[in-house]
Amino acid sequence: MAEKVKDKTFRIHLMVCAGTGCVSNHSFEIKEALEKEVKKHGMEDEVLVVSTGCNGFCERGPLLVVQPGNIFYQQLTVKDIPHLVEEHFLKGRPVSRLMYTPPREKRPIPVLNDIDFFKKQVLIALRNRGLIDPEKIEESIARDGYKAMAKALTEMTPAQIIKEVTLSGLRGRGGAGFPTGLKWEMVRGAKSTNGGGKFVICNGDEGDPGAFMDRSILEADPHAVIEGMVIGAKAVGGTEGVLYVRNEYPLAVKRLMVALDQARRLGLLGENILGSGFSFDIKVHRGAGAFVCGEETALIASIEGRLGEPRPRPPYPAQSGLHGQPTLINNVETWANVPVIVDRGAKWYSSIGTETSKGTKVFSVVGKINNTGLVEVPMGITLREIIYGIGGGIPGGKQFKAVQTGGPSGGCIPKEMIDLPIDYESLTKAGSMMGSGGMVIMDEDTCMVDIARYFLSFTQEESCGKCTPCREGTKIMLDILTRITEGRGTAQDLTLLEDMANAVKDSALCGLGKTAPNPVLTTLRYFRDEYETHIRDKKCPAHVCRQLNTYTIDPQACLEAGRGCDVCRRNCSSEAIRGEKNTVHSITQEKCIKCGVCFDVCQFHAVKVK
Amino acid sequence: MITLTIDGKKIEVEEGATILQAAKKLDIKIPTLCYHPVVEPYAACRVCMVESSHRGRTELVTACNTKVAEGMDIQTSSQRALNARKMNVEMLLARAPAAEPVRDIARSLGITHSRFPVKDPEEKCILCGLCIRTCGEIVGAYAISFTERGTERQVSTPFGEPSEACIGCTACAYFCPTGAIVAEDLRGRKVIHDELLLGPTTAIRVPTRQAVPMVPYIDQEACIHFKTGECRICAKVCDREAVKYDMQDEVVDLEVGSIILASGFKSFDARRIPAYGYGRYPNIITALEFEHLVNASGPTGGKIKLADGGEPKAVGIVHCVGSRDENYNEYCSRVCCMYSLKFAHLIKEKTKAAIYDFYIDMRCFGKGYEEFYHRLLEEGAKFIRGRVSEITDFAASKEEEGRLIIRVEDTLLGIVRRIPVDMAILATGLEPSLDHKQIAKTFNISCSQDSFFLERHPKLAPMSTFSDGIFLAGTCQAPRDIPDTVAQAGGAAAEALALADKGTFALEPITAEIDKDLCAGCQMCVGLCPFTAITYDKEKGISVVNDALCKGCGTCAAACPSGAAQQKHFRDQQIFAEIEGILLV
Repeated sequence: MAEKVKDKTFRIHLMVCAGTGCVSNHSFEIKEALEKEVKKHGMEDEVLVVSTGCNGFCERGPLLVVQPGNIFYQQLTVKDIPHLVEEHFLKGRPVSRLMYTPPREKRPIPVLNDIDFFKKQVLIALRNRGLIDPEKIEESIARDGYKAMAKALTEMTPAQIIKEVTLSGLRGRGGAGFPTGLKWEMVRGAKSTNGGGKFVICNGDEGDPGAFMDRSILEADPHAVIEGMVIGAKAVGGTEGVLYVRNEYPLAVKRLMVALDQARRLGLLGENILGSGFSFDIKVHRGAGAFVCGEETALIASIEGRLGEPRPRPPYPAQSGLHGQPTLINNVETWANVPVIVDRGAKWYSSIGTETSKGTKVFSVVGKINNTGLVEVPMGITLREIIYGIGGGIPGGKQFKAVQTGGPSGGCIPKEMIDLPIDYESLTKAGSMMGSGGMVIMDEDTCMVDIARYFLSFTQEESCGKCTPCREGTKIMLDILTRITEGRGTAQDLTLLEDMANAVKDSALCGLGKTAPNPVLTTLRYFRDEYETHIRDKKCPAHVCRQLNTYTIDPQACLEAGRGCDVCRRNCSSEAIRGEKNTVHSITQEKCIKCGVCFDVCQFHAVKVK
Repeated sequence: MITLTIDGKKIEVEEGATILQAAKKLDIKIPTLCYHPVVEPYAACRVCMVESSHRGRTELVTACNTKVAEGMDIQTSSQRALNARKMNVEMLLARAPAAEPVRDIARSLGITHSRFPVKDPEEKCILCGLCIRTCGEIVGAYAISFTERGTERQVSTPFGEPSEACIGCTACAYFCPTGAIVAEDLRGRKVIHDELLLGPTTAIRVPTRQAVPMVPYIDQEACIHFKTGECRICAKVCDREAVKYDMQDEVVDLEVGSIILASGFKSFDARRIPAYGYGRYPNIITALEFEHLVNASGPTGGKIKLADGGEPKAVGIVHCVGSRDENYNEYCSRVCCMYSLKFAHLIKEKTKAAIYDFYIDMRCFGKGYEEFYHRLLEEGAKFIRGRVSEITDFAASKEEEGRLIIRVEDTLLGIVRRIPVDMAILATGLEPSLDHKQIAKTFNISCSQDSFFLERHPKLAPMSTFSDGIFLAGTCQAPRDIPDTVAQAGGAAAEALALADKGTFALEPITAEIDKDLCAGCQMCVGLCPFTAITYDKEKGISVVNDALCKGCGTCAAACPSGAAQQKHFRDQQIFAEIEGILLV
C-alpha cells in the first residue's frame, strides 16, 4: 500500500457533517472552531475532528455526531463550540441544550439512534454516511469498502455476479425501475464493434428540484459508487468507465476526483486491479446543467460532445450506447447498492422490501415537514411512516394535504392515500412514479393548481425541444395553468388540459415528455374541485394564487393590536391603502394589484385574505 | 421475414424494416413530417404515431423509426393514435402556421384552425431537423445544428455566426420541407440567382439537355462526396446501383485510319465586356442561359422569369456580343442573328413583353431566314440599328428606376437612345474551343488567323486538312449554324469513308530521305519537321523519315548541316544539273 494508514487512536471522534446543506450552514467554520478549542485544551491527541458526508438530517444542520456514544448535536453555531468542547469533551458532561428535541416534546434525545428520524431508516446505499471521511479511502476500506469488489474480481465469474444481482431483485434507482440484473445481462450479451470495448456509465445528473440523493451519496461515500462500477464492469466486460456528474455539484466532483486518485494509487482502479488481471478505469465527465441529460441517451450524446437531446430507443444503450458500443448505464444509488449485494448476498438483500421492489430507497423528504432531510427506507414502507414517523409530521399543526413523489415528472398523491406502501408499482398505479426519489410534502396551504403549474414550468423550461408534444405541449399546458391561476380560466380549459396531457404523455419521445403531464394529470384526478373553484368562483382555496385573492383589513385588529402601525401603507406599491398612523387602515379594491405585500408585512394579522 | 398486421391486413416484410416501410407496401398512408428516406429517422415531429400491440403491450409508437416485430398488430388510425396525431399537428400548426406540409396534414385530419396561440403567422420552421441531418449525415459538413432548448429551439450555425464549415451546397434548403430555409439566407455564402436558376443545378447531371448518350455523370469539382467523403445520396436513391464513385478517367488507345475533328466552339465570355454588366446584374443573361430558361425541361419549366420570379415587361436582345468587334473578334459569328430572332419569337409567344433587338446588320442569309425576319417585324419586335454601348441600372428618370437601361446610338435616327428593359439577353458569339491549340498540335494541323482550324482549301477541300486522313466538321473550322455543320459533317464522313473504302492512299511522290552514311545524328531535322515525319533511331544513331507522313516540304533538306537529308527528285545533283541545263540553253 502506497500510504500507511495512521495507527494512532483517539479517545473521541467528532464527526462534523460536511454535506452541502451543512456546509452552507457554515459547518466548515464549526470544524475550525472545534479544532481550535480542542487545541486550546491540549486535547489534539485525544480528540479527532472528522468532516463526513451528508448525515441526512439536513433540517437540523450544522450537525455533529460524537463517537463513541453516537451523541447527536444539532443546529450548532460557532458561539456554542467553546462551551461544548469544555463541557462535553473535557469534563464529560454532554450539553443537552444542543441536542435534538422532537416537536411537541420537552426532553431532548441525546443518542442518534433513538431519534425517530434515524431509528426507522435502513441504510444500504447510505451505509457509510456520517461515519467516514469521504476524502480518506482508508476509512472507506475500514468499513468494508472494496471488499465486495475484491470478492467479485477474485472469486466470482461474470455470470455469478449477474446472477447475484438478478436474484437480489435490484431495480434501477434512477426512476424507471428497470431490473438491474436484466440490463447487465443484456450488456454482457451485446458484442462491441471494431474492438471498441464496452462502457460503464454512472448517471449522476441529478436534476430534480429538491432532490439530493445522488449528491449525498457521491459526497458522503464516493467509493461505494466506484466499487459498484468496477463490479459492474467485471460482470459485463466493461473496459472504460465514465462518471457523469453535474457541474453544479462541485463538492461531489472534488470528492470523486480525490476518491478516484486514491483508488488508483492503491491499485483498486486502473491496470490489473488487485493483481486479478482485470483492468478498468473511470473518468469523470461534468454535465453542463441540462435536466434532460439525465435521460440516458441524452447523457450519452452529451458525453460524446453532441447536443444533449434524447434519441428514440431501441436501440438501447445496452446494444448501442456510448460511441456506438454496448453501454451499461446505472444511476448513482443503483451503483452504491451493488457492493452490498455482492458482499452480503442476494438472499439477504431480497429479504428487504416488497414482492416486486426489493431493498431500500433513498428519498429526499422536503417541503412542509418538520424533519427535512435524506432518508433511506425499505421498500414497502407507507407514506404515513415517512411523513409522520421519520418526518415528524407537518409543522405548525397544519393538515397534511398531498405528497409529490418522483420529482417534477411525478404525480401528487392525496392524503386519502397516505397508507400507500411505497414501491414502483403502487406509485405508478397512483399516477405518480418512484423517480429518483424526490418527495415534496404539501400542507393545507398549498394550492394544487399552482403546484402543477410550478412543476410544469420546470419541465417546460428543461424540455430539449426535440419532439413536438414536449416542446409545444408543455408550453401550451403551462399557459393554460397560468391562465387558471390568474383567474382567466374557462370551463373548456380543463377538458383541453386533460386531452393535451394525455396526448403528450402518449406521444412524447423520451421519459421527460412522457412524464411531464403527471403533476397535471394527478392533480386533475385527485383535486379537480380545486381547479373548478379557480375557474368557476375565481378563488384559490389555499390563497396561494394571489390574483384570485381579495385583501381586506380587519379594522379591529388593525387598531387594537397594531395601533394603526402604517407599515402596510408604506409598503403598498400601488397606493391602494388609505389611513395614517394610529388610525384604522383600509384597502381600495380598485387600486389593489393583489401583490400580497400588506399581508406579508402585517405583524398583527390584521390583513385578511379571502 | 417478419409477419405483422397493419390495419387488419397481414404483410410479410424483411427484418429490420420500419412500420412506415411496411405500411407503404400495403399502400397505407401514414403522414410524416420529419421523415426522409435518405437520412436516419429522427422521430421528432410525432405525427406518424400509430398504435402498436405487441406481446401484450399496447402503446403508441412512431412508425418512422420503429422496427417491425413478429406478430405486431398496428392500428394506424385508432382513436388513441389519431388523438395524439391530431394534437401534435394542431400544435405544429400554431407554431408554424405558414408551413404548407403541416397545413396539408391538418386539412386531411379535419383540423381547420389551431386552438393554440400563434406566435408568428409567417413562421415556417417546424424544427424537424431535416436540414441538420442532411448537413451532417449526407453532406458531412456539420455546419448547422439546433441551438437553445424548448420553445426557444432554432436551427443555427455555431453562435449564429457564418459557419466556416458551410460549403454553401444549399442541400439544407433543398431538404427543407416547408421552405423555411432559403439559399439566400446562408449568410456570407450567397447563392446568386443565375447560378441557382440557370447554372448546373446538381453535381450529378446529364451534361446538356440534348446530350447523347443521355447518361448522367458526376462533376467531381462540385460533388460533395469528393469534398467531404459523405453524401452518396445519388447511390442511395439509385435502385439499379449504377452510381460508382471509384470510376476513373481512362485513356484508350485506338488504331484508326482517319480522324474527323469536331471539337466545337466555346461561347464568348460576356464578362469580358464589362460595360454590358453581365455577372453584375442578375437579369442580364447570355443566350445559352436564356436557352436553358426557355427550355420546357428547364428550371422554370419553360417560363420566362426574372431573378425575383416576376415576368419581364420589356426584353432587350443585344446582337454581336464579342463578334464583329475589333476589340474582341473581328469575324461574324454567323448564328447570333438567327437565334436572336428565334428568342424574340419565343418571348413574343410566351409573354407580353416588348422586345428590342439591337443589331449592326441583320444577316439572314439561309433558306427561309429572311422570311422569318419579316415575320418578326410583323409580330412587332422593335429593331434598333446600332451597337449597344452600355447596360446599366443607373436611372435617369422615374420610369427607369429599378430597371436595366440599354444605351445605344440609333444609327438610323442618328440619336443616342436609352431603352429601359427588365431583362437583357446577350447574343454571345462563337470562339474556338479552349483547347483548340492543343488539338492543333496533337493532329499537326494549322489554325487560320481567327484561330479556327485551317482547312486544306476553302473551296476545293473545305473539310480536309493538310494532314491526310484528318478531316474537319462543324464549328471547329469556322462559326456555322446547325444545317451547315450537318452538311460539312456529312461531307467529312464521306471523305473518311472513301478513304476506308479504297483501303490505300497515294504517297506523296516527292518525299525526303536521309542518307544513313552521311547522317551524323544531330537530330536538327527532327525538331524542324512540321509533320513529325522524322524520328531518331537510337540504335543506329541516325534520323529516319516516315514516308507516309512526309509531305516533301524540303525543310529538312535545307537545314541538314551534313547534307544527309535530301528531297527525292530535288537532290543537289539534280538541281545543279537543271541549273546547268538552263545555263546551256
